[in-house]
Amino acid sequence: MKATSFTLEAVDWAPWLEPVAPDTATPAQRAALQASPQAGSAYFRTLANDVDSLAERSPLFHAVMYVPRGLKRAERELATVVTSIVNGCIYCSSVHARRFVELTKQPEIIRALYEQGLDTPLPPRLRAIVDYAAKLTREPAAMTVSDLAPLRAAGMDDLEIHDLTNAVAMFANANRLMQTLGEPVLPDSAAPPAGA
Amino acid sequence: MPATSPDLLERIIGVTPDSPLGNLRSQRPDIVRHTQSSHEVLLCPADPGGLSLSERALIAACVAEASHHPALTRHYRQLLAERGDPPQTQRLDTILRHVNRVATAPRTAQPAHIDALRAQGLSARDIVALTQIVAFVSYQVRAAIGLALLAEGHAS
Repeated sequence: MKATSFTLEAVDWAPWLEPVAPDTATPAQRAALQASPQAGSAYFRTLANDVDSLAERSPLFHAVMYVPRGLKRAERELATVVTSIVNGCIYCSSVHARRFVELTKQPEIIRALYEQGLDTPLPPRLRAIVDYAAKLTREPAAMTVSDLAPLRAAGMDDLEIHDLTNAVAMFANANRLMQTLGEPVLPDSAAPPAGA
Repeated sequence: MPATSPDLLERIIGVTPDSPLGNLRSQRPDIVRHTQSSHEVLLCPADPGGLSLSERALIAACVAEASHHPALTRHYRQLLAERGDPPQTQRLDTILRHVNRVATAPRTAQPAHIDALRAQGLSARDIVALTQIVAFVSYQVRAAIGLALLAEGHAS
């Protein structure tokens, strides 16, 4: 069954194109899949149909999300959740909301964003991250240097702003792949998610 | 060819490797490298499969334009001018309708849109490549804008 609302539960993804099958993958496809976060997932096997782009995208994604120093991982995850909410990507928001909660033990922040929307009251630094991520996602051409002021006021240096920008940009990418090559589905055993 | 500049994003933003922003980017070498090489494999692949080099440049130009990014639009229009316009066919109409949808309203995508691309002869690889181009330019626009804001902050 198609997943239709934002959730902190795990969600599966069903492709609309045939994924590359493990036993017929070429050596290049196998190598690109091994370098991806989950080699066996239907999503990465679908992307493996165009192997050269997958082989570049997986290390790019890894560098944006996991390279040390700069913006804290939890804050990168939060930015990607906001981007995914704005774009309506239920699958990405589920994965990265759960990562944020693993890192921060603060599910209430995600619940507030899901249930009350992006304007929900937040601590100043998180507020600045949410506003920057939402605007860069929604109307990138309307961004001005004044949009950096709240991030600076919250204590962010250039490297952190750079990392935040790239996390948001990476999910402009991830959401579009995820939303237009397949759809989020509820795991067979899962109850329907609560809330809107 | 425009892609021969050492780094497209730095050229688009108008910064040099030894500027404060260039130094900042050098702290994230894998992002710089794989952003540039993503552009190369998507826009200038050795084997473009069923999605021609002209179609790839046109798709990227349409996404840059729909994202209101003049410098990237110029870059991809230039690439298209070097390659020549693809023939105006129903296939191209179907491709560009889908490109616009993925760029501006990805949540409205349906399996029938994939079927329509297949009916025009696009393979699974071609459809993934098309989607990767739209997704890449959507990434590139936002990365370029964020970097340009940081550069502007340094200049003022």
